[in-house]
Amino acid sequence: MEADQLLIRVAGGDQKAFEDLYGLVSGPVYGLVRRVVRDPAQSEEVAQEALLELWRSAARFDPGRGSALSWVLTLAHRRAVDRVRSARATGEREQREARRGHGPAFDQVAEEVEAGLEREWVRRCLDRLTALQRQSVTLAYYDGYTYREVAERLRLPLGTVKTRMRDGLTRLRDCLGGAA
Amino acid sequence: MSVFRRLFSRDDPHSLAAPYALDALEPAERVRFERHLKSCDRCAAEVRDLAEDAVRLAWSTAAPAPPALRDRVLAAVRTTAQEPAPQRGARARDSQLPPHVWGTAPPPRVRERRRAALLVPFATATAAAALVVASLFAVQANRTQDELAAERDRAREIAHVLAAPDARASSGRDARGRTIGVIASVSARGAVVTLSGYDDPPEGRVRQLWLMDQEGRPRSLGLFEGDTPLVASGLGPASTSLAVTVEPDGGSPQPTGQPIVQLALKTVGFGE
Repeated sequence: MEADQLLIRVAGGDQKAFEDLYGLVSGPVYGLVRRVVRDPAQSEEVAQEALLELWRSAARFDPGRGSALSWVLTLAHRRAVDRVRSARATGEREQREARRGHGPAFDQVAEEVEAGLEREWVRRCLDRLTALQRQSVTLAYYDGYTYREVAERLRLPLGTVKTRMRDGLTRLRDCLGGAA
Repeated sequence: MSVFRRLFSRDDPHSLAAPYALDALEPAERVRFERHLKSCDRCAAEVRDLAEDAVRLAWSTAAPAPPALRDRVLAAVRTTAQEPAPQRGARARDSQLPPHVWGTAPPPRVRERRRAALLVPFATATAAAALVVASLFAVQANRTQDELAAERDRAREIAHVLAAPDARASSGRDARGRTIGVIASVSARGAVVTLSGYDDPPEGRVRQLWLMDQEGRPRSLGLFEGDTPLVASGLGPASTSLAVTVEPDGGSPQPTGQPIVQLALKTVGFGE
């Protein structure tokens, strides 16, 4: 059964459906959280919170407005970003990054890409963006920086970063459209 | 709209759609933008598209989750209650919103109105007071009239303690970051107690609040229902601390297990 149908059953309190749904979404959720949060223990915590939220608020899901996978990834991404920002605020993360030397985000994305058609698609499409579009999008999405922080890091005006983000996402849509 | 225009006076709010879809707004900006989305169909549609684009970036990150995570999540699911489906009205009102907004923000309106009315005594809210207020209003908007009436009564009792001139706040936190918050007034001989960060207790169990005296004797102050604050009355000079235990449904005459969290009342004026 597909994730959307499972989630509708989950909304009715079906724990077995949730187990099946877990099988479909836990990899994408954990992988995304891990990419943003990095720290394995914290990633597990955040993924757990997001997956529990999926259970708790399943009744809010409306298949007419997006897929179940998009929904849970959206929940998970927001939680991951919130976690990484509060960790950053306490300085732990900056120190860790300083110790290991932090390269540009898009290079890491490229390096960390492994086998898999979807990964390959995303990588190829990211390659088609301009460097500034790619950096703006990936620093925000994969590294959890706000657009203000992105502007600071790239030494660009705020308006430029906002535009690059929009153009980058739109180009990704055009490129990935066929793969959806 | 005029407020909005002021907040974004230098910018077209639509320019925030992409940063929003990437979760790249600061918290206050995010809240403002979500408010704007509720009145702007065009922005909502645009954000929905951009958010779908952003999610595609997650395609490249999937990784097998640790097996222990599965065990923990499935165990938690067995003891975690689900939120009820949004009310018809709420859903119709939110229907223009992208999954981003309706999926993660609590239903609007009712909460905000009541919050405004009750926030008045909190001009100098401490962290613990803020905690009490937060959980006071961390309720769903979809309630029956009876539930609302009962809640108003409870809110009145709570306001009585909070509005006392000598009301003081304190909070305690356990190793896992879960918190007990208390606002107490010696003159009102009462306290408002909240728990936050706790999952629902296991099936057939409840959380019971105890008042401990100098001899360590417990007196039951009642059972917690979800996130609803408990109003404790009859506090006196001999009251030294509050404790919460997990008990069978209906509560126990005496605590049957170790407290899951405990808070001394000294800092709020009791037990001296």
